[in-house]
Amino acid sequence: MAYISQYQYYENNGTNPTDANWGSYQYVSLQDIVNNFLLMYSGNHSLVNNEERYKVLFHAKRAIQELNYDAFKEIKVLELTVPESLIFILPSDYVNWVRISLYKDGWLRPLSENIQTLSSNAYLQDNTGMILFDQNGNILQPQYSNIDFDRLNRTKKSIYLNQGSQFDGQYGWYIDDVWYFQYGIGGAYGLNTETANFNPTFNINKKAGVINFDSSMSGESCILEYISDGMEGGDNSLITVNKLFEQYIYAAIKYEILNSKFGVQEYIVQRARKDRRALLMNAKIRISNIHPGRLLMNLRGMDKQIK
Amino acid sequence: MINEVRNAVLSITNKNNYGYISPSDFNLYAKNAQMEIYEEYYSSYNKTINAENLRTSGTEYASIEQPVAEVLESFMVTNYLTPSANNIYNIPSLITTGDESYMLLKVLCYTNQLRTGTNTAILLNSLVDSTALFTTYGIAAGDIVVNLTTGVVSSVSAIVSNTTITLTSSAFLAIGNSYAIISAATVAEAEKVHASKITLLNNSLLTAPNTIYPAYVMQGQTIVVYPSTINKKGQVQANYFRYPKVPKWTYSTLSDGSPVFNQSQPDYQDFELPTEDEYKLVTKILEYCGISIRETEVTQFGMAQQQHEQPTFSMQQ
Repeated sequence: MAYISQYQYYENNGTNPTDANWGSYQYVSLQDIVNNFLLMYSGNHSLVNNEERYKVLFHAKRAIQELNYDAFKEIKVLELTVPESLIFILPSDYVNWVRISLYKDGWLRPLSENIQTLSSNAYLQDNTGMILFDQNGNILQPQYSNIDFDRLNRTKKSIYLNQGSQFDGQYGWYIDDVWYFQYGIGGAYGLNTETANFNPTFNINKKAGVINFDSSMSGESCILEYISDGMEGGDNSLITVNKLFEQYIYAAIKYEILNSKFGVQEYIVQRARKDRRALLMNAKIRISNIHPGRLLMNLRGMDKQIK
Repeated sequence: MINEVRNAVLSITNKNNYGYISPSDFNLYAKNAQMEIYEEYYSSYNKTINAENLRTSGTEYASIEQPVAEVLESFMVTNYLTPSANNIYNIPSLITTGDESYMLLKVLCYTNQLRTGTNTAILLNSLVDSTALFTTYGIAAGDIVVNLTTGVVSSVSAIVSNTTITLTSSAFLAIGNSYAIISAATVAEAEKVHASKITLLNNSLLTAPNTIYPAYVMQGQTIVVYPSTINKKGQVQANYFRYPKVPKWTYSTLSDGSPVFNQSQPDYQDFELPTEDEYKLVTKILEYCGISIRETEVTQFGMAQQQHEQPTFSMQQ
């Protein structure tokens, strides 16, 4: 890819979207990576030879996917309003979540993942407990399971100290300047810090591709921070890698090819493996942005007396 | 060169009254000899690469690869391929490109179609379309212009106006021909894939052929290009080694019963190999002649001379 002019960078040559090239200099495209690898690391006089381009492409993409899972720290953010069905459909490029928050009254409130289940499938049964089938032998299912039905109707209780808590809304008695409740709140058994959170909770049903919330999230604004695999919906022209990882990608492709190739001496494979590992470590350190300015910010508090 | 080769062959075979080689026989032997030497260049090239990897070859004047590569490259040509149906293109042949492909080196795909339309007037070396807005399509000099009706390919020389483009050669001789303008800047090299792999490749999520990474498979006298959206003339260009032209020693009159060399005959064709191969051609043809006239001495002479002529690197392999 050729270098672009300043005008193209800032204004995209006057065409929409004008911000298309902002920050693009941080990245190297997949096309460049594959092209450079074939040109520089493959051929008659190289360790990698007689290999198809699609293998290089495959290993390049796999390396990019792996980097996207942890090393890149490129987190995507999506805001959606949770409907009455209390589900948040996972984005099309979702791989894993980082943080889920409720945005309300100008505050971003991180939500806890419910350690209990919030949703379930159900089968229809007769009064003897036998499962019911249709004429094709398929199990008959209700629209909602009891747990889903209760959750949607805001009657499901929660072990969290939020609106679904069994203590929420309970009456007490004020006698001689003291409140008395029918149930003890942590007093008898100790507070479970894991569930001591006022905010709504969620569960992720990965196979169904949805986040299930408790009933207090209905109509609320939810912000999902998540990671993808960097494949940009299969559009090869959009796949990019941070330049700090460019050399690692070459090393990763080389290693993967040599490692799976017949007749390559083990010491060459090991050399490629060490090369790849060292470059990954280097790139991770670089992208961590550990520099004196940041350390200084942390060290400024070191002399503060803890009372 | 062909006349020198023939004279040398006749001289050697006639010296001991072994026999006479007729022009038609000579042409037959010459064709085979040239082809044999031509094919040897490919194996020689492979040996030079191995020699380089073994560090037994140098660079510059010590390069044994360069002379071999240069001979092969003299047979390299680039031509647009003609689609026979959809995304199936004919490989270069005498009918489609005027020469026959010995080996496809690379197949280039031009995937960005800028404009399709129909020409509305005829102007020398120009494309005229009164309905077009050529200045707005991103067309640049060098872009490919294909007459889809006749299959003639040209390229953009300059954009004269919204409705007229000048071309590097004349491609439109009638009104109403449909055309396509394809960007020359968006080019991708198609990868050759074995037929046994193409189904798997097409079903691969990460590596399925696309306009950035196209692929092709050989199928008889055609290639099938993937993705199938690549299907027009002008979209696929092949870079290949062609077969050398068949040599023909031509003559016009018979003088004293012997044919007299005449290279002005329309079917005259000289050898296409470099001059340094003249010796090899003579010995190869002698070998054939010896077998023809049943003189083992001539055959053995030819074979012995070829052994003597073998370059050092090939003896090491």
